[in-house]
Amino acid sequence: MTMTATTVQEIQLEQVSMRYRTDASEVLALQQVSLNIGRGEFVSLLGPSGCGKTTLLRIMADLLQPSEGSVTVAGKSAREARLAQKYGIVFQSPVLYDWRKVKTNITLPLELMGVKKADRERKAAELLELVGLEKFRDKYPWQLSGGMQQRVAIARALAMEPEILLMDEPFSALDEFSRERLNEELLSIWSKVGSTVVFVTHSIPEAVFLSDRVFVLSPHPGRLSAVVEIPLPRPRTQEMRNGPEFFGLIAKIRDSFEGV
Amino acid sequence: MRGRTFLSRGRALPVLVWAVSLLALWELVSWYLLEARHVPLAQSKLPYVHEIVRTMGDYAPTLLKEGRVTFGNAALGFLLGAAAGAALAVLMSASKRIEQLAFPYAIASQMIPILGLAPIIYGIVRDEKLSRILISGYITFFPVALNMLRGLRSVQPSALELMHSYAAKPWSVYWKLRFPASLPGLFGGLKIAAPLSVTGAILVELMGAQHGIGVIMLRNLYYGSSHAYMFWATVIVGALLGVLSYWIISLLERAVSPWQPDFRAKGGAR
Repeated sequence: MTMTATTVQEIQLEQVSMRYRTDASEVLALQQVSLNIGRGEFVSLLGPSGCGKTTLLRIMADLLQPSEGSVTVAGKSAREARLAQKYGIVFQSPVLYDWRKVKTNITLPLELMGVKKADRERKAAELLELVGLEKFRDKYPWQLSGGMQQRVAIARALAMEPEILLMDEPFSALDEFSRERLNEELLSIWSKVGSTVVFVTHSIPEAVFLSDRVFVLSPHPGRLSAVVEIPLPRPRTQEMRNGPEFFGLIAKIRDSFEGV
Repeated sequence: MRGRTFLSRGRALPVLVWAVSLLALWELVSWYLLEARHVPLAQSKLPYVHEIVRTMGDYAPTLLKEGRVTFGNAALGFLLGAAAGAALAVLMSASKRIEQLAFPYAIASQMIPILGLAPIIYGIVRDEKLSRILISGYITFFPVALNMLRGLRSVQPSALELMHSYAAKPWSVYWKLRFPASLPGLFGGLKIAAPLSVTGAILVELMGAQHGIGVIMLRNLYYGSSHAYMFWATVIVGALLGVLSYWIISLLERAVSPWQPDFRAKGGAR
């Protein structure tokens, strides 16, 4: 999906800056970032470490307050959106609770919302099927591989059927093979749930493969240096990774970094 | 559960061999002191194992009855102390202020020698049962509070952020995150405290009680060498009560928090 005049705006950032104060000096982590993300769009925040991409995601999630600028999510503030349970977040590590089995880890947000047990069971079965972990429903997290754990985390993030899925380098700890397979699985899940996805990554191929648009961020200070449309058709397939168009997009993004 | 039986079977044999050799050595040294070297009061120093066992058999009803009194009071004190310790840990984890206020006193309380505190408490309450309960609770309180506080604080920032992102209420954060995360710490504290609470109860009995394993222990010590076997029997019963308390807590831990890293099968299932 590309941005057109008719697209409904989901997330709007205006002139967002973030300063960290240390004893001696002040670090500008983000400098006046403005961007719009449409409803149902899959976008990536791409950049090297220190570019503020995770900070930007955390500001959207209302886990951090920006020093300046405003965040609007579906017409509300980020805080209101969080309290209205509009977010599903997938962190860099799976953050599963050791004392819960796969199934109850997934239904944790439903428990917090007071959803009835029968409904939780039904939703859990549905989500386990979605992420392909039906056989592991009664396992503890430590009995799963890293990739499986991250799939559980994705299922948990989807439990509330969130309007917005925020993902902070969710596959960065995985090997290249698991990562590519999970990229494809994520797209297939996304095509079924249709949430807006904001995906933070430092991998150019990953951003190109997944996204409708890629926001390229550059460091020192963190700023938005380019927005690249990815016109590859959907559904995306592994073969596309070998096509000239794919490589062309990677080159285009690489050229757009400033001051790295 | 297959892994567990395998593990215990693998462990049982060495433990058995150890125990048998240790007892054999004991018996041998005991014989050596008594018959070969003719050491005075040899049976008070290291009595024959078989004689102790026989005495324990002969006096089993007495030992069981007195042991039960000690254990019952210690258990009650232990429960009260554990509840108070856990409650203080929760308060301290909720507020840095309460921690700064309460923690120095909690530490200072541990500086008081139990040997001195026991007669003071007995002098105040004038009841052997209640003194036993209070001392056992007093000993239990600190390790439980300290270890549970550490457990409550062990929660990863990202685990808290997850709760935050779901706009979870403070109560839910405690109930669904901090409490479960504190269980390994809590049980660590309970396992330290359980045998100590038994020891504490016995100590109170030595101050002059009517019932309890400590009472017959002291009595048989006064009777001298003729009662050496019975004295040793009471010491062993006291030790067994401590072991029993530890064992009960361990069983409980396994039932309540089977997910702990300590209980995972070796090598994992990855």
